[in-house]
Amino acid sequence: MANRIFDNTNVLVCVGSGGVGKTTVAASIAILAAKEGKKVLVLTIDPAKRLAQTLGIEGTNDVTRVPGQNFKGELYASVIDHKKTFDDFVERAAQKSEAVRKIFDNSLYKQLSTNLSGSQEFTSLEKLYSCYESKQYDLIILDTPPTKHALDFLKAPQKLSALFTEGVAKWFRDPEGKKSGFFGHLIQAGTRQVLKVLETLTGSQFIRELGDFFLNIEQWQGKLLQRTIDVQRMLVAPTTRFFLVTSFDQAKLKEAEYFSREIRKGGYQLDTVILNRVFPHWLDLRVGYEGSTAEQDLAELYSQMKSYYNQRDAIYRQFETKMSQQARVLRIPDLVKDISDLAGLEELSTLIREQETL
Amino acid sequence: MKQEIHFVTGKGGVGKSVIAAALALKLSMQGKNVLLVELGDQSFFKDFFELGEVGFQPRSIKPNLSLALWSGESCLREYAQYLIKIESLAKLFFDNAVMRAFINIAPGLPELAILGKVTSGPRKYGPPMNFDAVVVDAFATGHFKALIQAPKGMAQAVQFGPMGEQSRSIINVLKDETISKYHIVSLPEELPLKESAELAAAIKEELSVHPSLVLNKMLDVKVSRETLQKEEQNSSSDLGKFALYLEQQLDRQAEMFKQAQLQHDSIKQVPLIFELDAWGLVEKIVEKV
Repeated sequence: MANRIFDNTNVLVCVGSGGVGKTTVAASIAILAAKEGKKVLVLTIDPAKRLAQTLGIEGTNDVTRVPGQNFKGELYASVIDHKKTFDDFVERAAQKSEAVRKIFDNSLYKQLSTNLSGSQEFTSLEKLYSCYESKQYDLIILDTPPTKHALDFLKAPQKLSALFTEGVAKWFRDPEGKKSGFFGHLIQAGTRQVLKVLETLTGSQFIRELGDFFLNIEQWQGKLLQRTIDVQRMLVAPTTRFFLVTSFDQAKLKEAEYFSREIRKGGYQLDTVILNRVFPHWLDLRVGYEGSTAEQDLAELYSQMKSYYNQRDAIYRQFETKMSQQARVLRIPDLVKDISDLAGLEELSTLIREQETL
Repeated sequence: MKQEIHFVTGKGGVGKSVIAAALALKLSMQGKNVLLVELGDQSFFKDFFELGEVGFQPRSIKPNLSLALWSGESCLREYAQYLIKIESLAKLFFDNAVMRAFINIAPGLPELAILGKVTSGPRKYGPPMNFDAVVVDAFATGHFKALIQAPKGMAQAVQFGPMGEQSRSIINVLKDETISKYHIVSLPEELPLKESAELAAAIKEELSVHPSLVLNKMLDVKVSRETLQKEEQNSSSDLGKFALYLEQQLDRQAEMFKQAQLQHDSIKQVPLIFELDAWGLVEKIVEKV
C-alpha cells in the first residue's frame, strides 16, 4: 500500500455521501500533493461560494490556476459544467450538425443533460477522462456529485449507459415488427406488449417524445459504448485510487464497510477511508478529566461530551481493525469553523498529513 | 380524518433522517397510525435501528409506527400492476432489461412514481394505505427540488392521457397545506443555512406553501457567560478549551439564528444531544419537533 494517499497515483476519485466535507478534503489533498512538487488538478462539482473564490473558479468553468499559491508544484482547479460537458460530448459523437440540433431541441434531452439521476455522474467521469487523456497533470482529483450513498456514484453511469447500449432505439424504429422474419417477429411481439404497457402508463404523447429521442441518439451509441469502456479502463488502472470520505455514525460506518467490499468486487482500488470531523480538534481523548474546581453544570456538560466521544473512540477502534485488511483509515478532527481560504485548507491538509504518518 | 403527509428535507449531513424518525415517533405517540418512508434503494434506518430487512411493504417497528423503503422502480411497479391488473404482463414489462434501464433513469419518471405513491391516500388512488400520517425522509436539497418539480414537468410534457392527469392531481395534493407539510432541516452554520434559504424559496415558488425550518444540533448550555469566561483563563486544560469552544459556538449560533429568523417564518430548535443509542436519541428529540 502506498505510504501517501497520492503515491504512484494519477487519478484520485473522492467518493462519499452528501454533506461530509468531500470537496474540502479533496482540495486539501490537492494542496498536499502540490506542496510535494506535483502538478495537480482538482475537479469540483458544486463548491461553496467562498471555497470557489479561494480556488479562483467562481463564475467560470475553465481550468484555473489557483491564485495566491506558493507551492513547489502547481495547483489547478475547475468546476464541472454538466450541461456543457454533456453537450460537448454529444456534439463530438453525433458528428452531423443536423442530428445535433435535433437532439438539443428534444425536451427529454434537456432533462437528461441537466437534472436526470445519473447524468451528473456521467458528465463528471467524462470531464475526468478528457483531462486524464490530455496528460497535462501529474495528479487529478475528482470530487464526485453528492449522492445519498457512496456507492451511487459508481452505479449511476452504468445505469445511464445501459440505456444507450441495449438497443432501445431498435424498438421505436420498428415497433410493429414489419421487417422481421418469423423469429424476429416473435421477439417483437413481446416488445410490442411491453410498449403497450408503457403507453397505458404514460400516454401516447410520451411514447412519441421518447421514440424520437432514442432515434436521435442511436447514432452515437457506439461512441458512447467506446467511451464507457475507456473510462472504465482508467478507473481500474493501478494508478487510479479511490478514497471514501464519510462522517462518523454507526450507519455510516456500516455503509463504509459495505462500500469497500463492493468497490473491490468492481475491480477498483479503495486506498483510504477518511472519517471527517470526528471530534472537536481541541479535545484530547487520551487525557482524563482533571479536578472539579469548575462550575457544576459546565463540568457535567463536559463529562457528558467527553464520555460520548470516548465511546465513539471505542467504536472507531473496532472499525479500524475490521477495515485494516482492505484500506487504511484516517480520522480527521473537526476544526470547528468554515474552511474556505487557502490557510484553512492548508491547516486541514496538515491534519491529514499527521494522520497519514501515524 | 385527512391523511397528513410530512416531507423532511435539507442539506446532506444535517440529520434529516433522525429528525424524520423523531417526527414520526411523535405523531405515533399522539395515537396516530404513522408510516415512516425512506426513499431510494438502501435503507438508512435498517442499520441505524438495527432492524432486519426494510422493504417496499411497511413493517411495524414501534406501536403505531411502520417503516417502508420506496424507490422509483418499486413505486412504478406497484402502480403498473394496479393499472394493468394482469400480473404476467406487468412482470413482462418490468423484467425487460431495457425497460428496467429506462425506468431507472427516465426523466422525472422515478420521482413522479414516488410522489404518486406518497400522495395516493389523499388522492384515493391505488392500493389503500391505512395510515393517518406519512412522514417522508426525503431527498437532500438538489434532488428534492427535482422531486417536487417532476409532476409539473410531466404535466407539461404530456398533456393528455393518464400520466398528465395523475401529475395534476399530485400537484393539487402537494399544494394543499392542510395535507402536505414541509420541514427543512438545517444546522446553525453558514452553508447549511444558505442552502435552506434557497430551498425554502424554491418550495414556495413551486408549490406556494410555507415550509418550516428545523435548526438541528443547537448547543443548549445552561452555564453563564461569566463562568465560561472564568474557566477559559485556564486555557491549558481541556475544560478551559471546552469553555472557549462553547462560548465561540454560542456566539456563532446566536448570529446564525438571527439570520435564520430573517429567512424563515417558522423555526423549531433541536438541541445537540450526546447520545449514541439510536432510539434514545430519537426519543430525546421527539418533544422538540
